Amino acid sequence: MSTDTSTATGSTGASGSASSSINPESVRAVAKKDFQDAVRSWLFWGLSVFFFTILVVVTGALSYFGEDIAAQGATTDMLVVFVSQITKVIVPLIALVLGWKSIAGERESGSIKVLLSLPHSRKDVLLGKLLGRSAVLSLSLTVGFVLAAVVVAALLGAFDIVDYAGLLVMSIIYGVAYMSIAVALSSLTRSTTIAGAAMGGVFLMFYGVWNGLEGVFRLLGERDILFFDTVTYTVESGGRTFELTRPEDWAYFVLNLDPGQAYSNGLTLLTDVEALEQQSAVSAEMFGGELPIFLQDWFSFLILLFWVVVPLAIALYRFDRVDI
Amino acid sequence: MPAITVDELTKRYGQTLALEDLSFEVEEGEVFGFLGPNGAGKSTTINVILDFARPTAGEVSVLGMDAQHNSREIRRRTGVLPEGVELYDRLTARQHLEFAIESKNAADDPEALLERVGLVDAIDRKAGGYSKGMAQRLMLAMALVGEPDLLILDEPSTGLDPNGAREMREIVREERDRGATVFFSSHIMEQVEAVCDRVGILRDGRMVAEDSVEGLRDSVEGGTTLRVSVDRIDDDALQAVRSLPDVSDAAVDGHEPPTVVVTVDGSKTAVLSALEDRGIEITDFETTEASLEDVFQSYTTDAETGVRAR
Repeated sequence: MSTDTSTATGSTGASGSASSSINPESVRAVAKKDFQDAVRSWLFWGLSVFFFTILVVVTGALSYFGEDIAAQGATTDMLVVFVSQITKVIVPLIALVLGWKSIAGERESGSIKVLLSLPHSRKDVLLGKLLGRSAVLSLSLTVGFVLAAVVVAALLGAFDIVDYAGLLVMSIIYGVAYMSIAVALSSLTRSTTIAGAAMGGVFLMFYGVWNGLEGVFRLLGERDILFFDTVTYTVESGGRTFELTRPEDWAYFVLNLDPGQAYSNGLTLLTDVEALEQQSAVSAEMFGGELPIFLQDWFSFLILLFWVVVPLAIALYRFDRVDI
Repeated sequence: MPAITVDELTKRYGQTLALEDLSFEVEEGEVFGFLGPNGAGKSTTINVILDFARPTAGEVSVLGMDAQHNSREIRRRTGVLPEGVELYDRLTARQHLEFAIESKNAADDPEALLERVGLVDAIDRKAGGYSKGMAQRLMLAMALVGEPDLLILDEPSTGLDPNGAREMREIVREERDRGATVFFSSHIMEQVEAVCDRVGILRDGRMVAEDSVEGLRDSVEGGTTLRVSVDRIDDDALQAVRSLPDVSDAAVDGHEPPTVVVTVDGSKTAVLSALEDRGIEITDFETTEASLEDVFQSYTTDAETGVRAR
């Protein structure tokens, strides 16, 4: 046995009592293993087929019913509009399902001890898991999209690669945001049951609660309940001026924190699909000519970044301090 | 420098006290048997050593480093066979080993490692189809990656048949001879006694005995029992036997033929000579040594088995 071991005592950087370091090589090794493992699961192949099917079905429907649209050369636009409405709901569901057991499952089965017996820190494991699972989701999206591209191009004739790629890239970013939420929640508990309930809770929050928020803000604002208030603005249409009311700016900020909303807004930036902009619930007129920063399209990337970073940061802090 | 130093370690889970003021040392280069019934706190101790769990009080240092602050460096030089964990069902043995090799920056050959643990035939099979024993062999191979200075084996014989358990002990000896320290937990004395230099017995979160295998055996009251069948016996001869320095007790048990039961710590021939010197003919004799299992039982259950703590 070596006798030089005592010199190692002070050499490794021990910062806080329970804080671990991050080693990029460890993160990569964990991510690679997690990817290898997950990519062999039926879930991955199921997802790819699923995305492929969505695209092909929407394309088929478009080419069958949409002769007028095709005549206008706006078929990829319509494809993006329809598909994005489906992926807006589906991508979160899939990210939550893929990320659900990422840490809680390994803690429940004990296999996390295999990971942590090797020289990986807990932070390495969290980051590696997020990267690995995000890679699986991204790859399944990409496989589905690329395979479908062939069908789309054949059926629709015209095919706008920029819009199509924009949809794919935005969907991936959106998926990573939800994956961060999923992995973070999964790291907070040892029980996959609790983790599963948390996943359900997140989905309900953004697709139940958040969708109802605008109505609630408007209602409370009109009745001046609590601190809620409304703002009056004017719209000119056909030479006439209308006076309308809307909730206050901060209410729109809260509404826009929904990753799904950010996904839709981001899409208008990454693609040049006009139909998407027409769908938007807000317009510059409501804010006296110019949208506040947080309603501008580029801001939606910050919101998605927020949803990647904040859950992860909480998980990194907390996971370092629990007993496995 | 000891390979592992556990100092006044206390670990509490809510209301449950898992470990209480536990202190012991594992010397560099020895095979240390960490023995105790299920639930005694063995896994908790290992969890703290590997920083899976944080101590409520006390300190643990491994390879001269603080178990919490330098956990990554410790685990770089430690091979671990964790207890009761699942492998990654969809990955093969080769992939498992490649992951461990990559994680440790080692240069091992997966095939050679699996050859050592007798699993090379299943190298490209997915671990999901492995038996418990095969999984255990694979985990042992993963623990051996990178020639670790310290091996922590938590119940390594789980799921192994007697032959597999023997091979596992053989590997433990090879690793010790290479210079590694081996920390070997088990709830079965028999597995520990065959391979360990020293044994610590844990009960209800406390170390109740810590000694060499011989030392533990000697702690059995009276050591060896000698039963001598004789043609006749008299008080004079019995007194002569009792007065021998190594004999702590002698009594007559049975009359047809008479049998002298002697509890002796040292020379058994002195007992036989003492009898023969008085013209007593010995027809038969047998000795029974207290088994370590008896020792273990006495330390870990409340039953009285005639063992005194040292």
